[in-house]
Amino acid sequence: MFRFSVAVFGRGVAKRFSSSFPAEGALPPNLQLPANLVDPSRLKRPPPPADCPLPLLRRCEAVVPAHLSPMQTWVESLQMEDGEPLGRAELHPDVFGVSPRIDILHDVEKWQRNYKRISYAHTKVRSEVRGGGKKPWRQKGSGRARHGSIRSPLWRGGGVSHGPRGPTSYYYMLPMKVRVQGLKVALSFKMAQDYLHVVDSLHIPTPDSQYLLDLIRRRHWGESVLIVDVAEEFPENILQAASDLKKVNLIPAIGLNVHSMLKHEAVVLTLETLKFLEDKLLWHDQRYTPLYPFKLPYRDFP
Amino acid sequence: MSALRGLLRAGGSLCQSAGTLLHTARTISTGTFCQIRMHSIPQPKEVDRWTEKRTMYGVYDNIGILGDFKAHPRDLIAAPCWLKGFRGNELQRLIRKKKMVGDRMMTLEKHNLEKRIRFLYKRFNRVGKHR
Repeated sequence: MFRFSVAVFGRGVAKRFSSSFPAEGALPPNLQLPANLVDPSRLKRPPPPADCPLPLLRRCEAVVPAHLSPMQTWVESLQMEDGEPLGRAELHPDVFGVSPRIDILHDVEKWQRNYKRISYAHTKVRSEVRGGGKKPWRQKGSGRARHGSIRSPLWRGGGVSHGPRGPTSYYYMLPMKVRVQGLKVALSFKMAQDYLHVVDSLHIPTPDSQYLLDLIRRRHWGESVLIVDVAEEFPENILQAASDLKKVNLIPAIGLNVHSMLKHEAVVLTLETLKFLEDKLLWHDQRYTPLYPFKLPYRDFP
Repeated sequence: MSALRGLLRAGGSLCQSAGTLLHTARTISTGTFCQIRMHSIPQPKEVDRWTEKRTMYGVYDNIGILGDFKAHPRDLIAAPCWLKGFRGNELQRLIRKKKMVGDRMMTLEKHNLEKRIRFLYKRFNRVGKHR
């Protein structure tokens, strides 16, 4: 009996004991991966080495400070699904390599959520509720509590004393330089986390959305992609391909903002967008304080 | 009534004679019922995080900085005209509304607005610590 029980339980004990030393790469059968797990096969691409044979397709036009050097990334093409990078591009360190300020990102994101918020909650005060001008019963002698109107906040159906009042706005503006720094920090984060991709142009061979999805999956860009271009009109192929996809979105460069960059995993910029962004964002580092709003004409701007 | 059934069941398990009572028991209702009726654990509501509005939220917020200052983000706000790009407490909002929209308002609304402005003026300027 004892030997039988040992044999039976021994098998279970042996199985449980052996599971503490799994074979190399063996996953437990009841493993449940979370839905938002980062693609484990997505390895960080190494930045282009100094002796890379590919041509430098874009140099930094703006002046780079002497103590910093421009950062380099790969320039890819969307023409072929599994194409190799075409070349390298230089990025200004004061736009794509600033210090990681999460507090600025938080402030800018909070501002984006709240400055356009209008709360339409409204309750009526006792003077606005219909009725309630007459004293319901005489002051003394009726035995009931004394009241002056049937719409006081104590009564059912009466007004609300301290409720929300009318459309309220939560508008405020952050200083311009904080918003600019927010953009720079967001771009730096994407660059540092290997989620920023540079592309020479947005021409794709077919208007098929499946082609875009396969390209993104092949290159391990991420779940959601934000494609930014300076031109007001996008090539028709990519417009049609992205119109059916929820997680791949095109925006003009003027529409770039911190919330969209945080919402989408990968950000794809073209070479013209790089020039545009560096122009716009670096100007604020060395401008004078405005004596009158910038929308009025200045002699040397834009 | 479910308590009654439980008691009878407990009683029936203790002695056989009470078991006959279980089969003849009637549910007695006193007229009240459970107000909250729901299934055991409610299903979490499914929220689509990639609708058009959520995807494009915040686009063009930096139209001033990136667009040569021809427009300002406050031009993007969809709000009643007296609240576009303005923030204030209730009295300031009501005064602005009266200035901008007052001559277009209905008589009863205008009357209520003026009463409220009068009340808030007296409240803010004559009552309390901060005058």
